[in-house]
Amino acid sequence: MIALGLEGSANKIGIGIISHPSPSKPPLILANLRHTYISPAGEGFLPKDTALHHRAWVVRLIKQAVRQAGVAVEDIDVICYTKGPGMGAPLQSVALAARTVALLWGKPMVGVNHCVGHIEMGRSITRASNPVVLYVSGGNTQVIAYSSQRYRIFGETLDIAIGNCIDRFARTLMIPNDPFPGYNVEQMAKKGSNLVDLPYAVKGMDASFSGILAAADTLASQIDENLPESKRLKTEDEEGRQVLVTKADLCFSLQETVFAMLVEITERAMAHVGSSQVLVVGGVGSNERLQQMMGMMARDRGGSVFATDERFCIDNGIMIAHAGLLEYETGVVTRLEDSTCTQRFRTDEVFVGWRE
Amino acid sequence: MAKVEGFPCMLKISIPFPNPHLASTALRALSVDAELSPLVRRSFSLSSNPSSESSSSEASTESVLVVDYCATTNRMLRVAVNGFFESLGVVVGVMKDLDVDVIGRPMAAGEGLEGVQGLEEVKV
Repeated sequence: MIALGLEGSANKIGIGIISHPSPSKPPLILANLRHTYISPAGEGFLPKDTALHHRAWVVRLIKQAVRQAGVAVEDIDVICYTKGPGMGAPLQSVALAARTVALLWGKPMVGVNHCVGHIEMGRSITRASNPVVLYVSGGNTQVIAYSSQRYRIFGETLDIAIGNCIDRFARTLMIPNDPFPGYNVEQMAKKGSNLVDLPYAVKGMDASFSGILAAADTLASQIDENLPESKRLKTEDEEGRQVLVTKADLCFSLQETVFAMLVEITERAMAHVGSSQVLVVGGVGSNERLQQMMGMMARDRGGSVFATDERFCIDNGIMIAHAGLLEYETGVVTRLEDSTCTQRFRTDEVFVGWRE
Repeated sequence: MAKVEGFPCMLKISIPFPNPHLASTALRALSVDAELSPLVRRSFSLSSNPSSESSSSEASTESVLVVDYCATTNRMLRVAVNGFFESLGVVVGVMKDLDVDVIGRPMAAGEGLEGVQGLEEVKV
């Protein structure tokens, strides 16, 4: 079976075409295209502008994907789109395109949960059998484990997602958004080495990131190079000497603090569930430092960490096609009247009929 | 459309399509998403093109999509209608390039693929 997947819940629009040759064989990725809406440094992307971008790109990406996959319209069995969660206007723009394509081609539709798409694509690529899933992105931060036909949320952020925190931290420091702010923060962090205290807010299995964001505004104003040296923020280096804090140090400190929080809540879930595997999915999952820290924890517990590269970590159409095809193969079809979007779509609302 | 109490700002939009199938497809695609604001009401229907020579002889010539809007204020009406036209643009764009009889044609000259990730050589 072959599925066409459309994803556009945030600033990336992705079109993927995937084939499931048979239940026992791994899926084939026939096409996986993506275009990112990039806003200027210091600005986040707004729903209206993002929707305009998705409308401008959706048709040619579908056309190119079909050509690249080398399939005919008759070969495609189902059209999958992101039902939610995400931004309203971008979701609606892409769902409308999916609906129109499904009507023109005479194909059934499946509305897919964005988080389940990430999980299933991560499981498929890494072959992780039953991992604890850390789903980290600009819009979501959840620790998930599968149980009784549901992806259960064991822990999550209580306010903003970690990717949102990082993106807004980058905005405060005027770090560029191209290719994406999280990547630029990661590169700058590699050049930093001095740790600055930031609020560490783990609450049981949950975490909170808004305190860090508030601290960032204060700290950013104290590292201005135009300030007299006596007023600039200082911290101690590895030898205990007072040093001036740079932008790179702030990025380094941000990563160390927020990733340690994620490692802690993930480890707590692993202990609770009795799992030894961690699967990191979502855009922030492409961060090498996070993978490194998670890997240390997993190895200490006698397990392993799984992660995918940026083709699949970051929002893409192939994950929607894959998860949608899994649902379709269990008999799930979204009726035309139900082919709307929802900005809130909890991960545990989805009945996972394709797992035991 | 009859005047609705409290919704004095009205607008009727007629959009001709090449054939009834496309008009019906557009209606079905566009009518699924409800108007977000309770201050705006909208209804869809199909009608015949009055300029069509065969309008009196065939019953299935309803190739015009008719959208009736009414809103409490002109501003709400403008916001809703602008949003509708953007959605209509998506539907027409899909029909123009992705319908079963045209999807195989090459991309139009003005539509590049710069910035797209995941491009590979096209298998022909």
